[in-house]
Amino acid sequence: MNGDRKTAPDADGVPVSPAPSGAAPGRPAVITAVSDDSRIAVEVRGLVERGAMDEARDRFAELVTLHQRRASRIAYQYLRDVAEADEAVQDAFVKVFSRITSYREAWPFEVWFTRILINGCLDRRKARTRRDRWSVGGGISATNEARASMARPEGDPERQALARERRARLAAAIDRLDGRQRTVFMLCHFGDCTPREVSAMTGLNESTVRVHLFRAARKLRALLGGKL
Amino acid sequence: MRRALHLQDDRLFECYLAQRQGEGADPPTAEHLADCESCAARYAELVLLMDGVRAEGEAEADAAFPPERLRAQQQQIARRMEAVGRPARVLSFPGRVVQSTIRASTLRSPRWTAAAAAAGLFLGIALGATYEWDSQPGPSAPAMSARAAAPKPDIAADEDFMSELELALDRPHTRELAAFDAFTPHFREIRDSR
Repeated sequence: MNGDRKTAPDADGVPVSPAPSGAAPGRPAVITAVSDDSRIAVEVRGLVERGAMDEARDRFAELVTLHQRRASRIAYQYLRDVAEADEAVQDAFVKVFSRITSYREAWPFEVWFTRILINGCLDRRKARTRRDRWSVGGGISATNEARASMARPEGDPERQALARERRARLAAAIDRLDGRQRTVFMLCHFGDCTPREVSAMTGLNESTVRVHLFRAARKLRALLGGKL
Repeated sequence: MRRALHLQDDRLFECYLAQRQGEGADPPTAEHLADCESCAARYAELVLLMDGVRAEGEAEADAAFPPERLRAQQQQIARRMEAVGRPARVLSFPGRVVQSTIRASTLRSPRWTAAAAAAGLFLGIALGATYEWDSQPGPSAPAMSARAAAPKPDIAADEDFMSELELALDRPHTRELAAFDAFTPHFREIRDSR
């Protein structure tokens, strides 16, 4: 099952590959029809190549609008910290814009962008792990508190408390998933990606993605006691 | 017996994924779910859990990123993109200092400045040498013998000073030190006992 990885395994579960320059060898191209965002990306690439940077920026803003919310969801679920997720999303968009000339239509823009975003999130998680190893406790609880206050639902205090507890349980359960399972699960459930798209993003076979998804769901169900 | 076996969990999950993607479950699975209440209940439970997890995660992330935050993020991205493709900006602060330093070091002073400095130096040395000769002769043998024969410090004056000090310490505002004073031999007592 693990033999289908095209890149070196990553400690946190996602294969980190360079930007795609075409379909992977031995695998069919991921898309057949060009989506709207991919078409805009191609236009932006053309504008940048012609040196029309202002126009390119204007067009790229449309891509930001299209993917911003989804990207924020993925980054937030991955990093569990609002400020850090915000920075990760910004970094991903800026990186994509600065490397837009290397974008190829063979892969959907969404796949390319998400891949860059996840790589950034993984780097941040690793950096945080290194940082936490040397820091005295307190930072995580402060972050959690900030997050809880940010994500407080409307309604009466009892409902708020229950929602907080539910979210904490869910976050803890997701955090206990194996690195690859977590990535695949988050991309599929919070990033609205199909197993085929997740396969393109991670470099795993589609069937492997499905297996990881199933195992993640089974483990979550066990950790959450069958209900949320 | 039509339903000898129930659906495995992985089949149920495949069915859930297919329905989420807008595809229907494969016909045998759909047929089984329609007929078997137990599997239908398990499937409903799975859908409830997965949809709950998804909805909860999305709600949390959306609460963390309200529209105003997303707008600010968009503006920040636009600002950072402005810098892409432009040459690196040189900070003005060190540049100005370096320029003024270079300008100061490359200034050419007129020739008479050097001549005046040389003349001033020469005059200074000459006047200094003259002064040394006239007013401060080097140490001679009589002077050194006179210095060796200098009077010894006046011990009597020192004793008087110590006595005065003791008398001053006897004043009322030093009463707190009287206990220490009682244990300390007084200079005047020693002097008188001689």
